[in-house]
Amino acid sequence: MILQHVRNFFGKWLSPQQDDARLRSSFQEHYKLFRSLLTANNNALELIAEMEQAFNSGRPFSMTFVHSHCTTLSFQVYKMIQRLQELSDDRYAGLIPAFKAISEQMETILAVRPVIAGGPFILEMNEIDRRSADQVGEKMANLGEIANRARLPVPDGFVITAAAAHHFLTENDLQDEINRRMTICNLDNLEELYRTSAAIHTLITRSPLPDDLGRQIHDAYQRLRERTGEERPVLAMRSSALGEDSGNASFAGQYRTQLNVDEDMMDQTYKEILAGMYKSQAIVYRLQRGFRHQDVLMCVGCLAMVDAKVGGVMYSRSPTDPRSPSVVISAAPGLAGQVVDGRVDTDIYEVGREPPHAIMALKLRRGADQEVLSDEQARELCRIAVRLEDHFGGPQDIEWSLNQQEAIVLLQSRPLGKASTVESIALATGEKKGEDVLLAGGVAACRGVAAGPVYIVRTSLDLLQFPKEAVLVVEHPLPEWATLLPRAAAVISETGQVAAHLATVSREFGIPALFGVPGAVEKLKNGQMVTVDATAGRVMDGRREDLLGGPAPPPNLMKGSPVYKVLEQVLELAAPLNLTDPASVYFRPSSCKTFHDLTRFCHEKGVAEMFAFGSKYRFDEKAAKQLVGETPFQWWVIDLDDGFSKEYDRHQKFVHIDQVVSVPMLAIWSGMVAVPWQGPPPVSFRGFGSIIFQSTMNRELDPAVRSGLANRNYFLVSSNFCHLSVRLGYHFSLVESHVSDMLTENYVSFQFKGGAADEGRRFIRVQLLKDILEQFGFRVEQKVDALTARIEKKPPPFLLSRLKILGYLLIHTRQIDMIMDEQFRVEQYRKKLLTDIETILKPDEPPAAEN
Amino acid sequence: MGEKLNILFVDDEPDFLETTVKRLARRGYEARTATSCDVALEVIESGWPDVVVLDVMLAGMDGIQCLQEIKRRWPLMTVIMLTGHASMNAGIRGLEYGANDYCMKPIELDELMEKVTIAWHETTGTARK
Repeated sequence: MILQHVRNFFGKWLSPQQDDARLRSSFQEHYKLFRSLLTANNNALELIAEMEQAFNSGRPFSMTFVHSHCTTLSFQVYKMIQRLQELSDDRYAGLIPAFKAISEQMETILAVRPVIAGGPFILEMNEIDRRSADQVGEKMANLGEIANRARLPVPDGFVITAAAAHHFLTENDLQDEINRRMTICNLDNLEELYRTSAAIHTLITRSPLPDDLGRQIHDAYQRLRERTGEERPVLAMRSSALGEDSGNASFAGQYRTQLNVDEDMMDQTYKEILAGMYKSQAIVYRLQRGFRHQDVLMCVGCLAMVDAKVGGVMYSRSPTDPRSPSVVISAAPGLAGQVVDGRVDTDIYEVGREPPHAIMALKLRRGADQEVLSDEQARELCRIAVRLEDHFGGPQDIEWSLNQQEAIVLLQSRPLGKASTVESIALATGEKKGEDVLLAGGVAACRGVAAGPVYIVRTSLDLLQFPKEAVLVVEHPLPEWATLLPRAAAVISETGQVAAHLATVSREFGIPALFGVPGAVEKLKNGQMVTVDATAGRVMDGRREDLLGGPAPPPNLMKGSPVYKVLEQVLELAAPLNLTDPASVYFRPSSCKTFHDLTRFCHEKGVAEMFAFGSKYRFDEKAAKQLVGETPFQWWVIDLDDGFSKEYDRHQKFVHIDQVVSVPMLAIWSGMVAVPWQGPPPVSFRGFGSIIFQSTMNRELDPAVRSGLANRNYFLVSSNFCHLSVRLGYHFSLVESHVSDMLTENYVSFQFKGGAADEGRRFIRVQLLKDILEQFGFRVEQKVDALTARIEKKPPPFLLSRLKILGYLLIHTRQIDMIMDEQFRVEQYRKKLLTDIETILKPDEPPAAEN
Repeated sequence: MGEKLNILFVDDEPDFLETTVKRLARRGYEARTATSCDVALEVIESGWPDVVVLDVMLAGMDGIQCLQEIKRRWPLMTVIMLTGHASMNAGIRGLEYGANDYCMKPIELDELMEKVTIAWHETTGTARK
């Protein structure tokens, strides 16, 4: 059969010399494929590790990250399959359907798109309530609910729906182009971010409004005109994004509101608001919170302008303390929007939630001698806040105005974000001035202490230069500064208070923020190191370790977000390893349920192909040579390329360690022989009994069943590569390494599995190995009694020392599990292992054992 | 790193091309650029490049088509796909049409150059020392 195969392979019968030449070149071809398989294997494992790391880190990652990792991973896995198929004459065809099944599931997960609401392009205010959220966005749906269900006053108007936005984007073929630009943009680079943001903005605002949509908008305006009876009513046009996950994410200040829009400006303003989704701070916010931009569609509310005398914001519960008995109201003369933007200083009221709604506290705005609201107005607002909280079933954050007739009009109500209650808000006390207190007073927009160099931002140009981990110092807390929050250590603003958008977002991101500190821009200098103690309302000179304390863990903003969920689902198809035992009958293509399984299978079989080549084709040169030397066990070595010295006679059956020139193999070997093995440790009766029991339970352990590869300890080597498979006693381990000047392909990988003794003891041994390997910089994964450990992209000296350690551990951990029943013995062994390793790693001193 | 390979970057983003070539030049590499597949094919025709780094999302003829054309005419040319934006399906088709490696944008230049070198050795079968 084999002979037949060789004949087919070479077309006709050849003389032994020709045969050798052909076999040599065929082997080279195999080796090339094998190398390529290994490279793909490394790439694949690294990609999986990166995905897992992102998933666990709590740091933001984009949909592009998830998508490009999946694509690259599937490429690498498929490449491994192709290479193995070539190596094995297509013996593993079953891998292809297994691969297709996994990648199709993955593509389905990645392709999930939001359901586009159909329906009309326009809805009137009186047609809307909470149930319309998927047509008009959360903000407008809530406003409709206030008007039509809670029966409280809101401005008259209409909403341009999600269906309209979708129509606009599709008619102009914009979505694909926007997706393309977003995915190629490196969001870490602020300059690139602004450029992309500006380009998309232009793209949207220069596209024409489809005729049918334009006509319907103007018809709606005419109807509003008739209802209000005004000649030319002016509008407030407000964004109301679809896909905002209210309660958890505020989207505060991310989108725009345009005031005083007349009919002529309506079309252009509509497009500006659609484009507002791609303002830099909105992009950064979505990235931080794990929202996909294509999941967000912009609806636009067109409301008759309220000619405001007083405007403000109120919280139905104090954000400091959700159980507190008061409503907190911020009010200032003029429009509510300036309170929200943080441009003005406000009066702050605390009003009792229960009748008679006593005014419990009042802080006047700077320089004012009289409050803007009468007590009765404050009480009426308080009643409304409580009623809205009842209606919506949770604490509310409400924007309101008083018109010229001093009637209350509600502009927005949304759940008071959880984030705002995590970090409490308080009036800072502005403690006594010591000499190192640079500034004192203000309001803690987000509590906490942080230090960093000052960086003052006045214009958008300053934004680009903003260094990571600097303290952001601004005059006003404008929403556009939010772009910088993820890279800022703390925020100081001369004006503004807790209701400002920037305050909301800094609470959400957990970044200490002190607002309302006049003179900050004047007093602080760029680069000056300061400590911002937002809780106590002071800014100190220098870095004050005593105040900083332990860094508060940043909130995991990604958790539960749409992008996070997508990564979670694709990881299920990528990362778990089910195929841990190559000797098992389940080690076959149809058992591969994840990309990791496929890589494991291809790797194992690829090695087997290289191992078998010599014997399969009766090719002595590449058959296994037995290693001669002073070792307690038998070892075989196969030279893949240039792992033996040039003088070595390749027809011999033996090879001496001195004839091996494989750098990684020599490193492993030196670890193996550094400390003589002292035979198995003394086994207690109980330990021995446990091994006998396992042998009867587990057929894998029966020496009669094992055959072929399985019962040999062998090295596959080239000058810079080594693969070592070991079956010593009852456990299986594998060390593989590539060591060269190119960091990209450098790695050490180690696998360890099984062993005699019961599961409990095996587990303890693996745990001990894990601890030690982690100490030396391995990334270790453990599943019951199976362990995999890897190091990647490190320079040769580092890798060689790790290979020595593995060589040592291979020999010396062999049978520890037999004595792993007593904790003090475990500690004893740990100590011995670590002491030995320390000795081995000392370069100039010969290990004690050799003396 | 040994060989100084001639590298052709095919990408329709001029910014990306410009910075990449500048940085490669500083490291002593020869790089040329093409903003379209047609231009790329002309450069390859001239016999200049050792390796082609190809963006999958080219405007006009897409990257996969371009790859197909390159591999049809020069089956032994080393081609690396580089993109931040492609479906899994496009990646697999790329492999089926003979792409030698697939990298994500953004990528560290040093890493890219190592990957280029590895892929070149892999396709040409030259020994790497």
